[in-house]
Amino acid sequence: MRAKTLVPALLILVAACAPLAISGYWLRFMTFVFMWIGLAGSLNLLTGYTGYLDFGHTAFFGVGAYVTGIFMVKTGVPFLPAMLAGAAASAVLAVIVGIPTMKLKGTYFAIAMLAFAEAMNQIVLEADRLTGGGNGLSLPIYTNYQFFYYMMLAAVLSILGATVWFHHSRFGMALMAIREAEIAAEMSGVDTFACKLMAFGISALFAGMIGGIYAYWMTFLYPGDVFNVLMTVRMIIMTFLGGAGTLAGPVIGAAFLATIEEVLWAEFRYTYLILVGAIIVTVVLALPRGLVGLLRRDEPSRS
Amino acid sequence: MIGPNGSGKTTLFNVISGILHPTSGNIRYKGRPIAGKKPHIICRMGIARTFQIVQPFARMSVADNVLVAAMYGNGLNQVDGRKQAGEALQLVGLAAKASLTPNQMTTSDRRRLELARALATGPDLLLLDEMMAGLTPAEVDGVLELLHKIQDRGVTIFMVEHIMRAVMTICNRVIVLNHGEKIAEGSPSEVTSNGEVIKAYLGDRCA
Repeated sequence: MRAKTLVPALLILVAACAPLAISGYWLRFMTFVFMWIGLAGSLNLLTGYTGYLDFGHTAFFGVGAYVTGIFMVKTGVPFLPAMLAGAAASAVLAVIVGIPTMKLKGTYFAIAMLAFAEAMNQIVLEADRLTGGGNGLSLPIYTNYQFFYYMMLAAVLSILGATVWFHHSRFGMALMAIREAEIAAEMSGVDTFACKLMAFGISALFAGMIGGIYAYWMTFLYPGDVFNVLMTVRMIIMTFLGGAGTLAGPVIGAAFLATIEEVLWAEFRYTYLILVGAIIVTVVLALPRGLVGLLRRDEPSRS
Repeated sequence: MIGPNGSGKTTLFNVISGILHPTSGNIRYKGRPIAGKKPHIICRMGIARTFQIVQPFARMSVADNVLVAAMYGNGLNQVDGRKQAGEALQLVGLAAKASLTPNQMTTSDRRRLELARALATGPDLLLLDEMMAGLTPAEVDGVLELLHKIQDRGVTIFMVEHIMRAVMTICNRVIVLNHGEKIAEGSPSEVTSNGEVIKAYLGDRCA
């Protein structure tokens, strides 16, 4: 029991102090790892708890990034309020899109969201007066990389905070009931539609927040980058590799995948994708519950 | 409610509980029309049900399965919900298994879990869909005893059941459906001696 609070506390402490010791490449790498933990964590809030697989999740990352960028470039709003506006825009968009799509079952929801992300890509390309379209959007340059490190870390901690809340709250239990047996949950008094919309909005809010930080950090946005289906695929792989519907799952999955990719890419420039694929397949086959399955024995998702 | 396979018993349950919406006609509960309302609203109005094929929340503990129903179906917070869930589990005899997951239990226990979950919503009307199918005679006796206890608490039970022994001991009014129509209604003994009913179950020559 003590390890359960001690390990996360130590990790947070190390993460908070790390910039004192690292810079340049490693700081950038760690910021990327946090970004992926955040994205996988935001997907996990929806997919891990309600069971609805969002194949267009990167749309919310992209919308958060573009709204942040547009506010900063076109209206000169400072970063923080621009980022919060981006996150809020993503959440509102998720609720609007969710009203029709959350009535669909599993696979159909996934397909609808895949199409939605592609549609967002086209919209951003076409609305070039606002977004810069195919020329991309350049943001003001800011090179304090410790700032972005801490912003990403803060976003990750708030996502993990939301995950803890999901685990212990009335609302989170309703989501898990929806994941396990939606009709039975509805018949037990759960307003499943409202709960799903709420979870979708929260999940998109955090993806948009990460997108906003990413935009300012990268200083350049291109629709094909942020609305790329491969972004979503990575989030899904990381979530399931680590263990969906758990607190540690997206953290372990994202850190693991980002690390092996980095190591293998440096060593095997031409074959690393094959190796990454082989590792993913092996983990999925050997550990159907994800890497967190190594840490604990068969127990209910709430204990 | 009895009737041959495919006569519409489960469909009627689905319509009452709001999973299906009627294309015509009306459903009144305590004088209020409920047709077309969403299942969670109907649940909160006091109608709970179990499913013919059990639908537990598989990766949640037995206690949490029932807690969800107590919190959402009965509007309780976590603390009061736990208390109510504990009472429901006590009543159905699963108090000792509260920390298991449903897939660690027998079919009979999973049916009891569904019953506890339905009871935790605080229903006045309980719809039971073939709760006793596939149970051993001893298990059926256990369930019957439980249902009597529930009836004594003032809960109305409306059940679909093929086991006539159960129907005879629990029910004081029996409805017979065939091809989606009510063909008989009355006390258990009236219904079982009704010519139409015998015809529906056994064919023309026996009637």
